[in-house]
Amino acid sequence: MSSLSSWIGLLTDPKTCDSYIHYVEGLEPQIGAFIQFDPRIGLKGSLPEGPFKGVPFAVKDILAVKGFRLTCGSRILEGFVSPYTATAVERLQRAGAVVVGKTNMDEFGMGSSTDTSFYKRTNNPWDTERVAGGSSGGSAAAVASGMVPFALGSDTGGSVRQPAAFCGIYGLKPTYGVVSRYGLVAYASSLDVVGICAASVEITEEVFSLIRGKDERDQTSVDEAGTTGIEGSHGKGFNRMVQRIGVVSGNLGLDPGVERAYRKTQEVLRSLGYEVRPIELSMLEYYAPVYYTIATAEASANLARYTGIRYGYRPEYAENPEELVRKARSEGFGEEVKLRILLGTYVLRSGFQDQYYQRAQRIRTAIRKDFDRVFEEVDVILSPVFPTQAFKHGVEGLDPFQQKVADRFTTAANLAGIPALSFPAGLEEGLPVGFQLMAPVFREELLFQVARKFAEEVPLLKAPSNTSPWS
Amino acid sequence: MDLQELRITASLAYLDLEEEEFEKLQMAVEQMLQYFSKMMEVDIEGLSPTTHALVHENRTRPDQVLPFEDTESLLENAPETEDRFIVIPNIL
Repeated sequence: MSSLSSWIGLLTDPKTCDSYIHYVEGLEPQIGAFIQFDPRIGLKGSLPEGPFKGVPFAVKDILAVKGFRLTCGSRILEGFVSPYTATAVERLQRAGAVVVGKTNMDEFGMGSSTDTSFYKRTNNPWDTERVAGGSSGGSAAAVASGMVPFALGSDTGGSVRQPAAFCGIYGLKPTYGVVSRYGLVAYASSLDVVGICAASVEITEEVFSLIRGKDERDQTSVDEAGTTGIEGSHGKGFNRMVQRIGVVSGNLGLDPGVERAYRKTQEVLRSLGYEVRPIELSMLEYYAPVYYTIATAEASANLARYTGIRYGYRPEYAENPEELVRKARSEGFGEEVKLRILLGTYVLRSGFQDQYYQRAQRIRTAIRKDFDRVFEEVDVILSPVFPTQAFKHGVEGLDPFQQKVADRFTTAANLAGIPALSFPAGLEEGLPVGFQLMAPVFREELLFQVARKFAEEVPLLKAPSNTSPWS
Repeated sequence: MDLQELRITASLAYLDLEEEEFEKLQMAVEQMLQYFSKMMEVDIEGLSPTTHALVHENRTRPDQVLPFEDTESLLENAPETEDRFIVIPNIL
C-alpha cells in the first residue's frame, strides 16, 4: 500500500532530491503532467518542521502558489505570476510539504480530457494514446505516474474524480465549503471545491485533515462545529460505521467494461459484509442540464474579470480600451471557454433568467432533497464516475457534447454539496476503472472507511509508466 | 437561437467572433440549449432556489482595509506600465 513514509525527507536530502528531479524530468515528456515544474522555487529557505517535511506535491494550475505561474490552462493568463498562495497550499507548506510544480488542466476547468489546455497535451500514464481525464488531468497523471504522492485539484462537476478514475488513483471532492477556496481561481462559485488526487486512501485522508477547516478569507467556508444555519443531508442517526451501501441502479448507459467492473465492485462490497441495496436517484437525468446551466451562468460572471488591462494576455494593438478588452478576450479564450461564456451570458439575460438559471437553482433544491431522502435509508452511495474508461485523444474519443452528457454521475455531488470519493476498482482491458462513494455532508470519514476496506480486497495497481521507487 | 441573438449575446460578453466561429458555436449553443430544455419537465412549484449548498443565511465580515505588502508583484503582472501606472490605449 502506498504511504507517505517513503516520500518524507525526499527533497531535503540533496542526493535523493537530485534523483527525484531526474525521475520526473525523464518521464515528463511522455506524460505532460506539468505546465511548470520547478522544485527550486519551493525549496528556497528552510522548510518548516512538520509531518510532511520534504514531501513533494503538485498543484493544479488554477490554485495560486506565490512565485509560480498561474495560467488556468488559458492563454489569457499567459505569463501571470501569482503574488500570493492559496490557503489549502499554505497549510500543506506549513507541514513541510514542497510544491514542485503546477499541473496541466482543461482551460479554466472546462473539460473532461485536459485537451482544452492552451499549453500542452497530458497523456494517461496507462496508455499515452489516451487522455488522463479532466479537468485536473495533470494532477491525476502526476500521481499515477509516481511523480508525486498527491496533488491538489479542483472539482466543479467531477474534475478531480473523473481523472482519478481514468488514471487509477483516488480523488476526493470534499463537502462544499470545508476546504478554503482562497486562492482558487473561480469557475462556478456555488459548485467549486478544492479536491485531492492521491496514491492511497491514507494519503488522501492525511492531506484532507491538513487542508480542511474554516478560513476567514473565504466567505463560503464552513466547518461542522462552528457554523450556524446549515441545512442538508446529515444522514440518519450519524452512523459511525457504514453498514448499508446504496447502489445507483437502473439503466445507466455504461460501457461494457465499466458495467462489468461495477457489478464486481458490488460483489466485493457484499463480501466485505456490507448490506448492498439498489437505490434510484429520481433526479439523475436532470443533473447534467441543471449543472451546465448553473456552471455556465456563474462562469460567465466570474470570467468577466479577464480584460487584458491589469494582467494577462494583451493584444498587439487596440484603438481604444473597449477594443482592447474585446480583443484580449477573443484572442485569449479558447473555443470551449467561449461556448460556456456565451451560454452563461444567454441564460442570465433578462427575459431568460426564469426559464434557465432560476429554474436550475430550484431543481437543485429538489436534487438536494432527493439525497436527503436516500440518506435516510443508506449510509453511503456507490455510483459510477463516468460511463467510459479513459478515451482516446482527438476524434476517436468523445466529442465535447458527449463529454458533458457523461458528467451526469459526478455533477450530483457538486449540486448537492456532499462529499464524494473516486476510488480505483481494478482494470478492464488493461485500463483502470474507478467508482465513487458519496456520503452526507461532513461525513468524509465514511468514504475513507469503505475505500480502505475495499483496498484490502482489491489492491491498487501501478501504471506501467510508474517506476518511481518512492510510490 | 438565431444568429442575431448569438451576436447580441457575444457582444454582451465582450467577445468578437469570426464568422466561422459564430457558425460553429451557434450549433454548439443550440445543442446545449436543447439539452437545458429538459429542465422544463420538472415541477418546480414550492421549491426555493439553492444558492449555497449548505448555508442559508447571509454572511458578512467587517468592512476593513487589510494591507497587502507586496504591491510590486501585482504591478509586475501588468502588461504595460509607466512608473506605477498601467498603460491603456487612449480613451478619446
